[in-house]
Amino acid sequence: MPKVIFHKHGQVHEGEVKDNTNLVVRAGIKQFPFPHLRYGCGMGKCSKCACRVEAGAEHLPPPNWKERKMLGGNLERGYRLCCQLWIHQDITLMQDSDEVWAATIKPPESESETK
Amino acid sequence: MTALMNQDEFRTALENAIKGRAATRSPFSIAWAEGKLSRAHLSRWAENHYHYVGPFADYLAYIYAHMPDRFTDAKDFLLANMYEEEIGGDRHTDLLIRFAEACGTTRERVIDPDNMSPTTRGLQSWCYAVAMREDPIVAVAGLVVGLESQVPSIYRKQTPTLRDKYKFTDEEVEFFDLHIVSDEIHGERGYQIVLEHADTIELQQRCLKICEVGAQMRLLYTTALYHDYVASELPLAELEPAIA
Repeated sequence: MPKVIFHKHGQVHEGEVKDNTNLVVRAGIKQFPFPHLRYGCGMGKCSKCACRVEAGAEHLPPPNWKERKMLGGNLERGYRLCCQLWIHQDITLMQDSDEVWAATIKPPESESETK
Repeated sequence: MTALMNQDEFRTALENAIKGRAATRSPFSIAWAEGKLSRAHLSRWAENHYHYVGPFADYLAYIYAHMPDRFTDAKDFLLANMYEEEIGGDRHTDLLIRFAEACGTTRERVIDPDNMSPTTRGLQSWCYAVAMREDPIVAVAGLVVGLESQVPSIYRKQTPTLRDKYKFTDEEVEFFDLHIVSDEIHGERGYQIVLEHADTIELQQRCLKICEVGAQMRLLYTTALYHDYVASELPLAELEPAIA
């Protein structure tokens, strides 16, 4: 089973998940990495679930069109959208605080607050 | 005599109840997966599908109202599902309409209830009846586990086909992309509610039965789409090897 190491607010949280797991789906049903993983729409439109991949990026598929659209240059800094990833191998992730996310990744209101 | 199942046994039983009559076995779904539908066929699908999934938050709202106060987690899960269907990001039905327009039909045609088939009207009515009249745990089993949880596996198969064979753009098929994620969350929440609260033999059996019926209803719906809109142009014989 893939091991997930999750860094947030200077703390480290670890858990094992089943193969082919989506971490936003897990958080949505209140299982690890809940309550640590911030997420929003679950559809690649708000970028709240963005995390930097610290280790294991080589096992992930290339970013899809939503990640390219929402993350832009942050892709090159190692960021991915957790809602778009299905985990098959061990991975280490770091999620920024709300403040850092808002300053560096959060899209303009028209993108993040679509109704 | 039937015994009370533990949560692992019960989940497997629920999955088997759905599996036997999965909507992926319908001729419409097979023709879709093989790239044999025209954009006109897909337009008719969208015009019907809107009236089945469009009221999903309404169905859940009836269940929410019937769910006992003490099942706080279950109520919160239902509320989260409703929120995500409607205002968590893009409204799901707006994305369905975007796909419909790419197929060549119009928003006006999609939202017009006169354009759904009698079978679709029957499926919508069944969903409302289950939401309003059933025990709320049984209703979650029928609508969320029996119907909604099937969606990721269906769309996972159909979405690459829409891009590769039908040549839709990423934006045009976003409705399908989002459901792979969001319905997986919703379906899992449904399982959590049912596994935790169906705690008698009688409730478990009723949940299994309604899952089976829900899957039958969805199969009926997609099979009718084939007969109503596709069969005259694409005979069953051309799909039979896949169906067999």
